[in-house]
Amino acid sequence: MLRSHSILFGALGALTALAGESLAASTSLAGGPLAIRVGRAETVAKGVIEHAVILVEDGKIVTIGEDLPVERGITVIDRPNWTVMPGLVSSYTRIGMDSEGGDDMSPDVKASTEIFPKSRDLRKVVEYGVTTLGIYPAGNGIPGLAAAIRPRGDTVEEMVLKDPAYLKIVMRSDSASKKRVRDAFAKADEYDEKVKKAREKWDKDKDSKKGKKEEKKEEKPEEKKPGMAGVEGQGPGPDAAEEPKADAKAEKAADGFVPPIPDDKVRAFVEMRAKKLRALVTLTSAADWLHWLDAIGKETIGFDVRLVLNQESDYFYVLDKKTYDLEADGIGDRKIHAVVEPLLTYTPNTRRVRNLPMELAKAGAKVCFTPRFDDLVNYKAWLGHVAELVGAGMTRDVALRALTLNPAEMLGVADRVGSLEKGKDANFVFLDGDPFQPATRIQAVMLDGRFVFGEVDP
Amino acid sequence: MIQLDLTRRLALVAALAVTAFPATAQEGEKPAESKEKSEESKDGEKKKEEVEHWFAIQNGDVYTGTGEVLRGATLLAKNGKIHSIGYDLYIPPDTKTVDAKGYRLYPGLVAISSQGLLGNSSGDFDDTIDPFNYRMVLGLATGITTTGAGSGAVKLKRFSVDGAVVNEKIFSSFSWSNSNPRGKGELHEKLVAAANFQREYREWQRKVKDDKTLVEPTKRGVDNTVLAVLQGEQTAKFVANDRDELLGIARLAQEFNFRPVIEGCQEGWTIADELGRAGVRAIVTPRDRRPKDERQALAGGASIENAAILHKAGVAIAITPATEGVDLGGLVGRDIMHLPLEPGFAVRGGLSERAALESITIVPARILGIAHRVGSLEVGKDCDVIITDGDVLHYKTFVQWAVVDGKVVYDKEKELFFAHIRPRPEAPAPKKVDAGETPPNPDAKPADAEKEGEKKEEGGDDAKKKGEGDEKKKDG
Repeated sequence: MLRSHSILFGALGALTALAGESLAASTSLAGGPLAIRVGRAETVAKGVIEHAVILVEDGKIVTIGEDLPVERGITVIDRPNWTVMPGLVSSYTRIGMDSEGGDDMSPDVKASTEIFPKSRDLRKVVEYGVTTLGIYPAGNGIPGLAAAIRPRGDTVEEMVLKDPAYLKIVMRSDSASKKRVRDAFAKADEYDEKVKKAREKWDKDKDSKKGKKEEKKEEKPEEKKPGMAGVEGQGPGPDAAEEPKADAKAEKAADGFVPPIPDDKVRAFVEMRAKKLRALVTLTSAADWLHWLDAIGKETIGFDVRLVLNQESDYFYVLDKKTYDLEADGIGDRKIHAVVEPLLTYTPNTRRVRNLPMELAKAGAKVCFTPRFDDLVNYKAWLGHVAELVGAGMTRDVALRALTLNPAEMLGVADRVGSLEKGKDANFVFLDGDPFQPATRIQAVMLDGRFVFGEVDP
Repeated sequence: MIQLDLTRRLALVAALAVTAFPATAQEGEKPAESKEKSEESKDGEKKKEEVEHWFAIQNGDVYTGTGEVLRGATLLAKNGKIHSIGYDLYIPPDTKTVDAKGYRLYPGLVAISSQGLLGNSSGDFDDTIDPFNYRMVLGLATGITTTGAGSGAVKLKRFSVDGAVVNEKIFSSFSWSNSNPRGKGELHEKLVAAANFQREYREWQRKVKDDKTLVEPTKRGVDNTVLAVLQGEQTAKFVANDRDELLGIARLAQEFNFRPVIEGCQEGWTIADELGRAGVRAIVTPRDRRPKDERQALAGGASIENAAILHKAGVAIAITPATEGVDLGGLVGRDIMHLPLEPGFAVRGGLSERAALESITIVPARILGIAHRVGSLEVGKDCDVIITDGDVLHYKTFVQWAVVDGKVVYDKEKELFFAHIRPRPEAPAPKKVDAGETPPNPDAKPADAEKEGEKKEEGGDDAKKKGEGDEKKKDG
């Protein structure tokens, strides 16, 4: 009820009433509004705020600003030496999962079905500052659908933020990978054809029914005909004339036509074409990128890439179209998300170090970091690994964004997490210094307005 | 407007172009004219789609690979195909140019087969080629622009996965070995069956017009690959070195009328005439060694003259090194990176240098069935060119640039591998205009005096720079 207030004082006015009620229980930090005053806030979306005050209630950020006055009665946590940043978002992980996948085509498998809420690993990553995870299904080929989750909750439903978040596709430079993708879209074509036929049949049935009705009302059919002609481009819809059409899809539902349910293996691809779902394509070399573009041909689906980095990675050939005079777009040209490990690599066959994540960002790709390996040790060292890249020339802003807002966007949950902005979930990491300084330690972590790590007394 | 202008100028070029390739210029002119007409009638968008990519290599000595040399000539390519070769050609604006003054142009080399140049892929090269792998760079550094791969032919087209495969399913392999007499018999039977079927089918084709009740002869029992060979759809490839085996294959070829490709062919020089008459094509390695079978009274064993004798007898010779991968240990100097060195040993054995060059360009291109696109520098063929700093067969020669489909895909100075060895001299700075050429201006005398002073200093700087450059070279 407080979220709609735009001015702090307005909000506070209302808050005092609440605060009075919950004053007795406020020391437990549960429920009621809470103000956090820190030395510095990395908002990611809107730069740095010095002497920041964040007001949290109901697990959301009510407001954030510099040196905001806090009304009496509101619990205040005052840590002038701390820096706060948004909770880390790990968009490509299987931490806490243990199943193994095959090498086949199973775009209907959902990673969310294998989440075990009591997993020790999930509890542990929270301590390392991770408050949002993108869990993907295991396997090669097209293993299935990933889900965006928060790492705390008693049930899976409680944990899930968005499901599905993306379809994982593994692209290798081989005929099987291309065939898999092409076949999938061919099946989606078949489904489209099926829908079209069902639609025609449905229209016929309806027309014949209407014919009987129209004997009573004679004026209407003439009005309808031009309407029919007008809608033909979007698919025949005789009812369009009766109601003003908003768009083709809404109309489908409105006129009562129920399209046939797509086969499990096809649904993901139908949804991708309808721009309801994005793909995350795993690539292991620059050649894979060209082969992927070749495989999808003229499909205009939305996709992001997971670039597996190793010491000899050669993605620098396909960062943009210009440098090597490519015939196809580069990764940066597409302005897509690129999930990479924070790893410095070599120019192949040399010992010349490259900062590929930095090069990707410069070329226009939206870098998202994933830990070097998907285990607790690397989650613990995550910020430190990113700091190595910052030391090697990547700008802090890009690095911070690649840990928070970019992966949140990729998962489709940027409206809730990924930056310190009014209305977003209160997911914070509190540090005792700059996130990219080696001596800095995580002091506390807040997830949905609750401290889930660190002993914090007001 | 530009299009119009261009066409007119092209017409002019056609008139001016050296008559060495008169047909070219005319051919180039006609489509341009018709295009202009169609473009005028259509929208501006269409014009954009038909962007012409021009590429020129200027002032180089063009070794066309067909025996001719054009010194200091220009090779002009349009959309990846050779448009014209000659002197005083009109170079359209926005043409990408390479100045090859003092260098030689050769057709891109054709490796009859190789391994690893296309990445770790095998088969289905359209789907598996890795156009960024370092072995492709080394292949181009060797001068190879096309290679036989698997049973097809693929171009070393960097930075792209489209259009690299130029031919598929060229060969079907057969065995004809002294150690497997049954295999010999079976192959002969298959050939007989296929030949009989062909004969019956032709007869049926001729008679069926009059009598439509005739039944089409059945293919049952006929080997499809053998039939494809007899019908000329595929090439039969044998691996054979022994004199008797070679003779057997030659007789098969004559009996059933097909042109086999024989890899190895080490004792071919002893029966060169028979092989030549049978239309055999041979893939040889001049540095191969084979001891003579002492039980045989007849001549035998390997000979350095093998390629020369076979060539003289009319056998088409393609030359390949001992190992076909990029081999940085073991057989160093005899791997695919030394493809142009291998024919040198055939030259030592008496092969002409022209035939030696052909053995790694047009002959393998013919064997691979792609001689209409690659293998020599001729108008209308693909613009696959290598630019070298000397005779391509010489051990000291480096490929400076390699061009595939009218696009520079290798530049020695820009790649890691050989840039440090004998670096290309920098292009000489443009000569300073002689002070005497500018009319003396009495008003500006003091200024002139100053300038002269500066010039002297500059000269000093230049001298210093030169000295530094020399030192650097010595360091290198």
